[in-house]
Amino acid sequence: MKLALVKMLCVRGLQRLKAALYLHRSSTHRSLTSAAALQKDDAPMKAETPSKEPRRGCVLCSVTVDFKNVQLLSQFISPHTGRIYGRHITGLCGRKQKEISKAIKKAHSLGFMPVTHKHPQFMTDPRICGIKHLD
Amino acid sequence: MPRYELALILKAMQRPETAAALRRTVETLMERGAVVRDLENLGQRLLPYKMTKHNQRHSTGAYFLVDFYAAPSILDGLLDHLHRDVDVVRPAVLRKDERAPDSSCCGPPP
Repeated sequence: MKLALVKMLCVRGLQRLKAALYLHRSSTHRSLTSAAALQKDDAPMKAETPSKEPRRGCVLCSVTVDFKNVQLLSQFISPHTGRIYGRHITGLCGRKQKEISKAIKKAHSLGFMPVTHKHPQFMTDPRICGIKHLD
Repeated sequence: MPRYELALILKAMQRPETAAALRRTVETLMERGAVVRDLENLGQRLLPYKMTKHNQRHSTGAYFLVDFYAAPSILDGLLDHLHRDVDVVRPAVLRKDERAPDSSCCGPPP
């Protein structure tokens, strides 16, 4: 029993000595490496991703929508029925789609734009919406 | 005072009668304390659909646009007056927004 205790104490003492020695050694070691690391500066540098695409806007991004501009509004309705095309057909962003829709309804009620058809004057206008008609 | 826009559709009439109707309208506006800023003629055109007003069926009309500054309290009375005018087919008063267009729209900045 006594022998075992003595042995443990000795071992413990040795361990403590070792720990103290190692600490001392690693701190000096650390100071040397840290100075060198600062000079290298291999932290990742900030750069823009090269594969970033430029922001594309919808067709009406820089265009003000007005209920009086019947020609513009007529480009987003069906020529046969006068129905307003949905977002998946016009390709407009949320805000502009809402503006167009509201302007068309306003023009209908104020007597500026026909409801059930497209004005024949605007039938030959360029097609913005991605819908193919049979004719 | 907030800024309003009167989209007016008048009956298809001869020039002196149209002028008289417009004069009447603008004078009504000024009587009620509005400041008329601009009067635009959008031309006489075929109406998009036939409209019935004052027991008359209209197929053509003269479109006018009146810009004015007014107190909001006069609008009700003004619209009532315009509806009762025999020469007016369809009056509509709209608020004009003076906000600058939002730059947060989708797409690249101009």
